[in-house]
Amino acid sequence: MTKRLLTTTAAIALVSLAGAAAAEEVTIRVWAGGSGPNDNYRVDAIEIAADLLEREAAIRGEDLTINVEKKTDNTWDDFKQAVTLAAEAGNAPHILVTGHEDIAPWAQSGLIVPVEDYLNLDAWPINDIYDNLLEIASFGGVLYGLPQDAESRPFFFWKEHMKAIGYSDEDLEALPDRVESGEYTLDNVLEDAKKMVDQGVVEAGYGFYPRPENGPDYWQFYTSFGGVMEEDGRLVLDKAAMQRFYQFFVDAVEAGVTRKNHIGTPNDQWYSEVASGKAGIWHGGTWHYARYTNQEGLKDFFGNIAFSLIPAGEGGKPNTLTHPLVYVLTDQENDDEEAIAAELIKIASEPRINTLHAVKSAHLGITHQQSNIDLYAGDRWAREATERLLPFANAMPNNTDFGTYWNAMWGGLEASWTGQKTPEQAVSDLEAELTSSLGEAIVIR
Amino acid sequence: MNASRDIAESARTPIGVRAAQSRLHLGWLSSSKGLGILFLLPAVVLVVLFFLMPVALTGVFAFTNMTTATGITGGAYQVSPGTLRVLTDRYGMGELAERLGQPTYVVDEQGLAALEEKGIDKNIIDSLRDGLLGKTYASRRELERDIRGLPDRPNTRTVKSISEEFSRSLANARFSSRESLIAAAEAIDPDLTDEEKEALAASTYTGWTWTTENFRRLASSPTTRQVLFNTLFFVAMTLVIFNTGYAMVLAIATHYIPDRPAGIFRIIWFLPRISPVVIYVLLWKWLAWDTGFLSAFLSNFGVRPRNWMLDTATNAWFFVIVINGFVGASMGMVIFASAIKAIPESLFHAASVDGAYRWQQIRHIILPQLKWPILFVTCYQTLSLLTSIDQTLLATNGGPGGATEVWSLWIYHTALNNYAGNLQYGMGAAMALVLVVIGIVLSLIYLRLFNYNALVAKPRIEL
Repeated sequence: MTKRLLTTTAAIALVSLAGAAAAEEVTIRVWAGGSGPNDNYRVDAIEIAADLLEREAAIRGEDLTINVEKKTDNTWDDFKQAVTLAAEAGNAPHILVTGHEDIAPWAQSGLIVPVEDYLNLDAWPINDIYDNLLEIASFGGVLYGLPQDAESRPFFFWKEHMKAIGYSDEDLEALPDRVESGEYTLDNVLEDAKKMVDQGVVEAGYGFYPRPENGPDYWQFYTSFGGVMEEDGRLVLDKAAMQRFYQFFVDAVEAGVTRKNHIGTPNDQWYSEVASGKAGIWHGGTWHYARYTNQEGLKDFFGNIAFSLIPAGEGGKPNTLTHPLVYVLTDQENDDEEAIAAELIKIASEPRINTLHAVKSAHLGITHQQSNIDLYAGDRWAREATERLLPFANAMPNNTDFGTYWNAMWGGLEASWTGQKTPEQAVSDLEAELTSSLGEAIVIR
Repeated sequence: MNASRDIAESARTPIGVRAAQSRLHLGWLSSSKGLGILFLLPAVVLVVLFFLMPVALTGVFAFTNMTTATGITGGAYQVSPGTLRVLTDRYGMGELAERLGQPTYVVDEQGLAALEEKGIDKNIIDSLRDGLLGKTYASRRELERDIRGLPDRPNTRTVKSISEEFSRSLANARFSSRESLIAAAEAIDPDLTDEEKEALAASTYTGWTWTTENFRRLASSPTTRQVLFNTLFFVAMTLVIFNTGYAMVLAIATHYIPDRPAGIFRIIWFLPRISPVVIYVLLWKWLAWDTGFLSAFLSNFGVRPRNWMLDTATNAWFFVIVINGFVGASMGMVIFASAIKAIPESLFHAASVDGAYRWQQIRHIILPQLKWPILFVTCYQTLSLLTSIDQTLLATNGGPGGATEVWSLWIYHTALNNYAGNLQYGMGAAMALVLVVIGIVLSLIYLRLFNYNALVAKPRIEL
């Protein structure tokens, strides 16, 4: 390589990363949605990355100062509202940590830009990220985000209550496998929950104690009953599966194992109840481990709780859903800032940095090499949950219209759960609503 | 009274001719009419900015399919898998979609020339020409791998700007204008027909378009009827029971008790209005939660703890109406009480002398005098209840199962709340427009019902 070439390359590198000026100070804003007290590394990782990037720049002889402004939001709805409105007003933060399902609408609106436009996908650590996660972060074959974490959503059983209705330690040991093979189904869940209530092991309404608010979890039950969310890029409403899914919750209410007014239970109350053995069977996410053991003071997680896939229902198979969060870059006027933001999310995906988040928040890792990092490998929950759940995980589709489908699906579930409509009526209303709002974008069968 | 008449008169009287000439350009300021307009100007600006504009914009947005995905400020042309599917399904141009949408990267002289124009280092261009000229790639990643394999490995950002120039398809490309889209498509396929261009532009456009679809959806959705009924129920119940009915009871009751206790009583009833809405509703929730006061208290009597607010639709309605009603009652109370105060006391004394009971006083003295305040409160509160959202959102959020979903809340849930990040602005605006129309119609009906003209007619006697 000639000397001249070297200088040009160096010059381009200089210009590309820090703009023309030698001393540069940029402020990068990062917002994370759905992030509680255990999820601080979603935004802190960017700060760590900024420190590394500044050092890299210093070695190249540039004076780059990066200020990171962080903001986390505990909820999703408010966060998405804030982001979309900020973006419309031209004030979108540089980096967002959000659910992968936002990629489709936000890419269409031009709110976010492909990370692929800024990053070398063959470079470390992107080349170590799991392929399926990268796929989930893509839209139309273009990589729009970098996976930030992965998780899956298990069923939980309170061991003591299971024993009270006749399960032995060996039975409980074998339960996850029985769920996986399809032998233990959602029908059995209702049976066992009913036994618990009937025998007074748990209070009425606490036999099966589902998530108290809308969330991706509910698509798992649709899948359990044989439903498909998307096929060949088109959304699918399987009416029979949807009805069986609605019926399941109606049955649970009728059997007295789930409360009719369960939706809307405050989250804090819900967490403290499931972590203290007030409920028999419930479902949640891998990150619940962190909440139960940190905030809720559950000392012996594995001694008290068994976990498995979401059991199969009629016509479906056991499954779980992974809802990876992604770092995405918003469209900014200043392209240099976008490039710096891209570098930051790349560095934040370093296995070692990501492991801080994965272990602290009990999420699953995003790269292969994390299993070689002691902090991650030594964590029993990360290891077992990865093995037992991740191979069976599917994800929601990246489809612009999915939000409309989702809102309508939830409306129908809520209406049948609380007895406002029969499942049959709810599904037929859902069909009418989706035909009218989505038209050819959804296949109904 | 006299003073104002003087001003009006002096405005009508012509001032001296010389004076008028010297103030010619500001002449309108010396009339009360002109001054009035000047003084009203700030209010007019505010009314236009915060009342008329939102209504006008709602009217405009209502006839669009605006969402987060389409953006508000305008769209671009993007060739995504979704648009290719539309091109295939709706326009039957599967072959065109295949031809334009398949990612293809070709290292050719055209691209190299573009790189020169971009100012990319000549050595890099030379080595591209030597090493890769004529090669075709099915993905950007493969091409970039080869570019990085060149002897003088360019940095990532340069690689990106190089690979961009060799793209020979429209796959995932984003164009800011129709012209640039068509130009790019023609560069790949010069024989495009006008029909194909039209279809391509229509299917790849990401922005919003004009449509009346929102209203068709509203008319055909089963939810509409339910929510409309909920809204009417909510407004009617809250209005009749609390905002006018209970407010009247409070006003009359406080009229007949001594001033000091009456004042204290009114202040207490004013608390729901002056306390921050979040705290006010939170207190209700603490009362009604299944770990709250009500459950804790009733469990002493063997009643199973439950979330009283969301237990059944009836419970939810009870709480929604009471929570809203307590806030609304205070306003009616103040207005009615002050109107009763304005009734000459001699009328009450005369009635007492004639032996009228309290009820007869209320029936024949108070109520007839309160026609105008009742009209005002009913009218104002109907409109305010129609658009009221905060208490209901915080208390039940429309639950259980959409039982207390009222129209304004439905608008909020549609236009500003979506789990998958795609807010439906256009649809929400259409719903809001319906609410505006309902509001206007109701106001007109009220004005007619209470005979507005008679109420504002000049008094027949001079007081």
